[in-house]
Amino acid sequence: MGAVVTYVILFGIDLVLKGGNFSAFDLRTLCMNALPLACVGLGQYFVLLTNGIDLSLGPVMSVAGSIAALCFSWSWFAALAIAAGTGLLAGMANALLVVRLRLPSILATLATMSIFQGIALVLLPSPGGTVPAALTAFLSGGPALLPIPLLLVLAVTWMTSWIMSTPFGLDLRAIGGDEPAARSSGVRIQLAIFGAYMIAGVLAAFGGLYLAIATAIGSPTIGNDFILLSVAAAILGGVSIGGGKGAPLGVLMGALTLTIIGQLLYFAELSSYYQSLINGLILIGVVAIGTGRRVVSGLLRERA
Amino acid sequence: MSGATLSGVLHRISRPTVLAPLTILCCLVVLVVVGGILAAGFAAPTNLLTLLSLSAFLGIAAIGETIVMLTGGIDLSIAWTITGASIVFTGVTQGDERRLWLGLAAALGMALAAGLVNGIGVAKLRISPIIMTLGMNNVMEGLTMIYSQGTPSGTATESIRTLATGRVGPLPIIVLVWIGLAVLVSLGLHGTRGGRYLYSVGENPTVSHLSGVDNDFVLIIAYAFCGLGAGITGILFTGFSTMSFLGMGDQFVLPAIAAVVLGGTSIFGGSGSYAGTFVGAAFLTVLTAVLAIVNIAVGYRSIIYGFVIIAAMLLYGLYSRTPE
Repeated sequence: MGAVVTYVILFGIDLVLKGGNFSAFDLRTLCMNALPLACVGLGQYFVLLTNGIDLSLGPVMSVAGSIAALCFSWSWFAALAIAAGTGLLAGMANALLVVRLRLPSILATLATMSIFQGIALVLLPSPGGTVPAALTAFLSGGPALLPIPLLLVLAVTWMTSWIMSTPFGLDLRAIGGDEPAARSSGVRIQLAIFGAYMIAGVLAAFGGLYLAIATAIGSPTIGNDFILLSVAAAILGGVSIGGGKGAPLGVLMGALTLTIIGQLLYFAELSSYYQSLINGLILIGVVAIGTGRRVVSGLLRERA
Repeated sequence: MSGATLSGVLHRISRPTVLAPLTILCCLVVLVVVGGILAAGFAAPTNLLTLLSLSAFLGIAAIGETIVMLTGGIDLSIAWTITGASIVFTGVTQGDERRLWLGLAAALGMALAAGLVNGIGVAKLRISPIIMTLGMNNVMEGLTMIYSQGTPSGTATESIRTLATGRVGPLPIIVLVWIGLAVLVSLGLHGTRGGRYLYSVGENPTVSHLSGVDNDFVLIIAYAFCGLGAGITGILFTGFSTMSFLGMGDQFVLPAIAAVVLGGTSIFGGSGSYAGTFVGAAFLTVLTAVLAIVNIAVGYRSIIYGFVIIAAMLLYGLYSRTPE
């Protein structure tokens, strides 16, 4: 579990820099900041498992958040349901292009990324809409040691882990590992891939919904940063671009790692200009170390 | 002698490589006609030359992307390589013509280094191109932010401004530069051994390796070219906008990839051409211009963009499936 180690190290540095203090407030902030990334990273995880990639998840977050912000004044429940439904529909559209029309996932989702981005801008040309203050307060509140954001992070990780333990999850792992082998052993490949994109859409929508609620406003471009961050979180969490590998807990660690780097810089009194540099180096470093370890273990096996 | 080379070239060209650019060229002509109907003067030669000069920046940014995608890879790091090159260039020269060469060397050297590191990561460390160039994009962003402390300074030198916006008679210089680069790149891709190796690595790395091609070296050179191309784009675009600003490269990444794909280069590598990308870049620029005439909201423009890419890919899928 390289992801856990990376996170624990960074967390340790963070603690030292803060002089050993980790208050309930810090816990709450960390979870609030990490939750959207954890959601969309977990969504990306499902698509990466099938040997694909989904570049449209960021704009899906924007669409879901914008729609919810527009609908909240009408009905809370409808707003939440419509936002989740949007994610589901977006995932279906991607799955249709990839599974039915056999387009390469990176290009299909590049195109839908543009489309979803456009939809978000048509719905909400500039940040706006309303979010009930009570909902914002509730989702960032809760008991000191068990704040709602922490519960949500745990819930979404537990849910995705549970999905991975079902036959559907095993199918997904089999497809990414070796698609022809999975096919010949009776895995319903198209169905499984369809499911993966739909789950990804819904998880991204949750992330976008939470962002809108936490920032108390709908923004049509808020998801843009997450297009590539979601891939980074999953990769840091030990998921392989080649499919088949990784676990939801790792992705959560990846999201926490990317989130804590920002705090670290703050407490290390380094300018935030270093954030992307460090993000990039950690991303390349983690993957390169993974490769290096494979090479070394390969050599050792040859000797033996 | 030319017969043998020509048949060799034709043999390597797959159907989508020929049909895709022709399709896009037809769509381009239709777009220009539609534009001409919608707005008087749109199809006038002067306006078309202006549009072509706007396409040039995208077209030059897409040179490297074509080369990398021919190997079956992708480069997402051109965004901040373009921005970085531009900011380093204006920062070093401060608009002073005497420091032109120093500025060019610093900006292009940095862009080339970024490309080389990408290539080494992909070829030697076997990091997936998406992750490697994604990480590199972050690294370049960080380095650029640290270098500029968040506020880019300086302006483009007069000579670069002339290169990007000047004219020789009626012809924009940037268009001539673009055409010159396009001819060079096409000759390199289709007429040299290096070009042949590039296609063979993209088509089948194993076969390529077994037939004696140093795959790793070819990949490293391909990414280095892409970095260099991004650097050149950054400097030229600085001349166009007279100064550098944060995030100026972001607008190039996805259109560059789209231009390559619309031009018929396969995302899996091994087939395609820069001629296709050239037409693809012109098409995307004219499409944006036509949508701007209709005064359609940005959101709808983005939606139309997406559907155009999907339509093109579905069409090209048919081309390659048709039995020969």
